[in-house]
Amino acid sequence: MTRVFQKTARIVFFLSAAASAMAAALVFGFLLVFGFPLIGGGEFFSLLTRPWSPGQGLYGFLPMITGTAAISFLSIVFALPLSLGTVCFMGGLGPARISRLVDGFVRFMTGIPTVIYGFLGIFLLVPVVRTLFTSAGSGMCILSASLMLSLLVSPTMIIFFKDGFDSVDVRYIQAADALGADSVQRLIYVILPEAWPGIVTGIIMGLGRAMGDTLIALMIAGNAVHVPGSILDSARTLTSHIALVSASDYDSLAFKSIFACGLTLYVLNAFAVIAVRRLGGKRGPV
Amino acid sequence: MNIRILGGCLRVFSWGAVLVLTGSVLVLLGYLLVKGVPSLGRDLIFGQVNVLDALLLKKRVFDGLFPAIAGTLSVVLLSVGLAIPVGVCAGIYMSEFATVLQQRVFGLMFDILAGIPSIVIGLFGFSGAIFIHRYISNDFRPCLAVSVAALAFLVLPYITRTTQASMQGLSIQTRQAALALGATRVQNIFYVLLPQSFSGILSGIILAIGRCAEDTAVIMLTGVVATAGIPGSLLGSYEALPFYIYYISSQYTDAEELMSGYGAAIILLGVCAVLFILAFLIKRRLAGPAGPAPGRFHG
Amino acid sequence: MVLKRSIVMLVLMAVSPFFLVSAQAGAIDSFSGLSGEIRISGGTAHIPVMKEAAKQIMSANPGISISIAGGGSGVGIKQVGEGIVDIGNSGRAPSDAEKEQYGLKLFKWAIDGVGVAVHPDNPVTSLTKAQLKDIYSGKITNWKDLGGKEASITVYTRDESSGTREVFWKKALDKGDIVSSANFVVSNGAMKTAIANDPNAIGYVSVGHMDASVAGVALDGVSPTIDTVKSGEYKVARGLYSNTKGDPSGLTKLFIEYLLSPEGQQIAVQKGFVPVN
Repeated sequence: MTRVFQKTARIVFFLSAAASAMAAALVFGFLLVFGFPLIGGGEFFSLLTRPWSPGQGLYGFLPMITGTAAISFLSIVFALPLSLGTVCFMGGLGPARISRLVDGFVRFMTGIPTVIYGFLGIFLLVPVVRTLFTSAGSGMCILSASLMLSLLVSPTMIIFFKDGFDSVDVRYIQAADALGADSVQRLIYVILPEAWPGIVTGIIMGLGRAMGDTLIALMIAGNAVHVPGSILDSARTLTSHIALVSASDYDSLAFKSIFACGLTLYVLNAFAVIAVRRLGGKRGPV
Repeated sequence: MNIRILGGCLRVFSWGAVLVLTGSVLVLLGYLLVKGVPSLGRDLIFGQVNVLDALLLKKRVFDGLFPAIAGTLSVVLLSVGLAIPVGVCAGIYMSEFATVLQQRVFGLMFDILAGIPSIVIGLFGFSGAIFIHRYISNDFRPCLAVSVAALAFLVLPYITRTTQASMQGLSIQTRQAALALGATRVQNIFYVLLPQSFSGILSGIILAIGRCAEDTAVIMLTGVVATAGIPGSLLGSYEALPFYIYYISSQYTDAEELMSGYGAAIILLGVCAVLFILAFLIKRRLAGPAGPAPGRFHG
Repeated sequence: MVLKRSIVMLVLMAVSPFFLVSAQAGAIDSFSGLSGEIRISGGTAHIPVMKEAAKQIMSANPGISISIAGGGSGVGIKQVGEGIVDIGNSGRAPSDAEKEQYGLKLFKWAIDGVGVAVHPDNPVTSLTKAQLKDIYSGKITNWKDLGGKEASITVYTRDESSGTREVFWKKALDKGDIVSSANFVVSNGAMKTAIANDPNAIGYVSVGHMDASVAGVALDGVSPTIDTVKSGEYKVARGLYSNTKGDPSGLTKLFIEYLLSPEGQQIAVQKGFVPVN
């Protein structure tokens, strides 16, 4: 009786693990099958470089690729100094008590819903951008979206950076302390050079978070389908493209193209995950 | 460069970064509260309907957030309820039974699953629904059940990973005491290891709840609509708070509707904040006064 | 008895939807005691009327639930054709190919215009068709070229699935180009909100949705108002349709009857459309 139970339990555990692991493959399979009419015949790569113009039968998603690249890259440009500064603050430059508060606040930030950033983006940030930059037109542009996104990705980056800092061998730090290093010297000469895998991991994770987010870009980037020429241009990301077109007629090639967008996002994510694992950083729910 | 000047610059830089980051988030949230708090009240949720009538489903609420709140509640409870058994069992397997190779392969798959953008998970759920509609049952459409399943996919890796990490974090003494007394491995898991790692798993579950509650991208592809009333069946459409916020932000028709958007945003933020604090407190109790050790995920 | 009645109803419906109204006085009563779900999606100009009708029906009949989603006319037509929803709304008549492919039945319950709109503070209140085409094709990019202030024009448009876009593109732009840098919005409601919030905006919106938050722009001297649409003077007009796959039955049929009944037509008037009856 107990032996049967033992066996059953073990099988159930295994099946759960295998099923959860298969889930990732299942998602990939569905994207592939549904996107096949557009991807088959080696057309996938030519799609990457073509414009989007359903009126002329063109379903390339170059505009969305460039939109995603511009918005997520710019958001990292904004978020990187903020995150590095904050993690240095917590790594000894700031008073311990405030550091703990900042740490708690950063963790709280991971829980702020992205739709709320989008909502506040529309009513607070977009009008400001529109007033400051007259050429930004509506104010719904790459700049607005990446500013908001930088707030979304900063906590992710900070947490991974901090992990990198914490994983520096404590004996190095003690050695530096024994030599009379102050907190700044310790940070510059010991921690920062040793913590780079954590920093790279954080940047990759931040980039992944920025590329994967839908609502902020959908709500405040303007969604124009063209290759943007400036950060004040309206742009559409891969994720918002999926959200916008998914409601459309699903026999059309336009609809099938969103599976190509989905596949692109999936593959980019898988590369990021593999890169992070190679770096040996931790990768888990944040 | 002189280390003293460099150090000074670094100090200023780090203070500046902290101030800009926390300051901008506080300004955003402050703006939300200042604009939105006046809208909070009974009417925001129940409109003109008597509270009791609405809760007992005697009368329908048309001008309030009640259907959206009920929708979010159902979708969250169902999807987390679906993900918990599978996720916890998978976590147990990863921690207690998996070979090194399995840990590597499964671990990689979990990481990939955890990183898939939620809109792609939504697209998966949507295409699954279309697949069933076309080839299995013509009555099947994107609905509450589809959202629930897709969201369960979304949070499954969270639950698996936290279960695995909290079980692996147990000390060797805890692991071996019952085994030495003659307990089987499975008994040891159910009577010792699971109860001991309960708070770790619980904090993971609470974070998963928060993730489900705030997600908009998955549900907007899998069955959420602007108007549906209280969710009546798994196969029906439903409303949800985050989608309501998105919807109102682009198509409010008057100031009053916009205010209800602010109200909905405050409620959603409040829910997420409470969940976050809960998870935080549970984790801290678990870790004790020494502070949480950074949980390391193996494999 | 009931069966007989519904057979009669079906026959009547096949002849013309207009008969239904006279046959169905007090359409809301016909829902009493019934339960079930009606799923509606598609055209976004329809949404205010759909919401109000749903509210009336659902308040009186707790067993009935009606869900309403947007998406645009193309979505409504496809989804009803595929059987994803019971009623697919469209702000344009479905094409012959669409009708044939899915066996759609069309019910036109109101007439609406598609008006050009700008921010109320914009001094530009009238445009010629040629100017409008130049704005939308990206030839005119600054309001000062149209007698307005020195500011670049933000062009707003809708996606391909929008019936409003199609009507506007055909009848106002004569199928001219729409510049690729145009901002996209997802519905008539969103178009109105976007224009109301952007002093430099230009967009097109269902005349029924226009209110004081945006300013309608006269096109070749004719303002887009409910009266000019009604009189036929304003040319960029279209019908609002609710489509079903095959002849409607059950709750879906009752819902369509309700839209065409005096009560339903009254709702259409309230929401700013021209009734068909």
